[in-house]
Amino acid sequence: MIAIEEIEKSFGHNQVLRRVKLDVPKGCLYGLIGPGASGKSILLKIIAGLIRPEGGRVVVEGQNIFEMPDIELQKFRANFGMLFQNYALFDYLTVYENIAFPLRRMTTMTEEQIRERVADRLKRVQLPGFEDRMPSGLSGGQKKRIGVARATVMQAPYVLYDEPAAGLDPVTSQRIFNLLRDEQRAAGSTVIMVSSDIERLLTVTDRVGMLYRGRLIFDGTTAEAQESQDPYVRQFVHGLVDGPL
Amino acid sequence: MASNDDGSPGLFHTMGESLLGMAETAGGMGVLFGRILARLARLRFDGAEFMRSMYKMGVKSIPIVIVTALFTGGIMVIQAAPIVKRYGAQGLLGWGAGFGTLREIGPLLTALMLSGRVGANNTAELGTMVVTEQIDALRALAIDPISFLIAPRFLAFILTLFFSTLYADALALLGAAYAGKGLLDVEPSVFYNGLTSGLLSFSDVGVGLIKSVVFGIIMALASCHFGLAVKGGAPGVGRAVNATVVASAAGIFVLDYFVSFGIS
Repeated sequence: MIAIEEIEKSFGHNQVLRRVKLDVPKGCLYGLIGPGASGKSILLKIIAGLIRPEGGRVVVEGQNIFEMPDIELQKFRANFGMLFQNYALFDYLTVYENIAFPLRRMTTMTEEQIRERVADRLKRVQLPGFEDRMPSGLSGGQKKRIGVARATVMQAPYVLYDEPAAGLDPVTSQRIFNLLRDEQRAAGSTVIMVSSDIERLLTVTDRVGMLYRGRLIFDGTTAEAQESQDPYVRQFVHGLVDGPL
Repeated sequence: MASNDDGSPGLFHTMGESLLGMAETAGGMGVLFGRILARLARLRFDGAEFMRSMYKMGVKSIPIVIVTALFTGGIMVIQAAPIVKRYGAQGLLGWGAGFGTLREIGPLLTALMLSGRVGANNTAELGTMVVTEQIDALRALAIDPISFLIAPRFLAFILTLFFSTLYADALALLGAAYAGKGLLDVEPSVFYNGLTSGLLSFSDVGVGLIKSVVFGIIMALASCHFGLAVKGGAPGVGRAVNATVVASAAGIFVLDYFVSFGIS
């Protein structure tokens, strides 16, 4: 389980997160939604230990990750897979080298085993044979899928996805969400997914949380989110023009 | 004077802000230097990235260093030509060109050339990696960006400048010798005798090489610091590259003064 307790974060005078409290059960696919600049991506980076909050705790497997010494936190991050909004593929490495990167750095697998694992990942994201391509020669959707392959190649127990379908057409977008759902079910991992594509996101999530102006204003099951009468949640989930947002 | 009547920042406010900015940069570079040294001391840096950086920084800079060095030697002779002709001091041409080149012009111009080519490029690369979240991705993959990216580049930058200065010195003297032959009809053998007559020593070469290491440290630190500190997307990368070039050039001249003063 991931327990987020009273997280506060500011950048200068801009308070981005205000006492955010949230529990993500083990094996859950959790969707984090909210309008732009509501703090979703920052919260994701805080959970991964990439940004230190001013207040609060992130407890993973019973350990507050921000009480760990830096070197220990660095090692602990191996428990997380992460897909970044801008893909974050290493542009000087081939697709194969990008996906193999964490395996080469963090495991004792032989090159043959790595080759097999990478080929399997590429097959899963429906891009077999792309090993020798460079990221610069890929479309946005293909980069996302390579990002998914890299985020899941370590089979980490916790996976964080930041806008996995941003900028993609509806069909590719739905395929990506289905792929992430399948991956999560196959691995039994705990997943937190940030997305602005609410319609498709809600087809795969177990639970949903909504951030608004740095506060968590909703936390419940997907069905509860869809049926919520809270004016903010209702307007955002159903994409209504009229409302308080 | 904290602010003007129209509410805009006053002189002292602006000066204070600039000083704070400089202190922040100096502090940031100091902290980064400490982190890099800690990794290098424990040999915790990526060998493949080091070799890649040596190729990109060192090997790819060879043509520009060759051209700069050869013409620098020629320029030294052009400047010396009127005096040499007036006093018939052809025998001292080698010493004059050698003294200026080895102690000052060689390391200085090589550093300035590499500041524009290697330093700016390094900042742009690191800045782009920050903007596209590649640095965050490294950290998310439990990899220390200082060990993996920064320490190898820092070391490669210093070694590149050291070896570039070494062969730039030799090429500048070669350029000077043949410019002397072309412009003043001074035989290369006479030029060589002037160089080795005892007025110059290996300590003159050493002074230049010490300077190249000092310049390399400041340039590598500036380019890595400004690259990692990029904020604000693509325009931020442009600002960081500009800051690197300005800080490196200023740092080179200031440190040149102090090293020259300290060693002479």
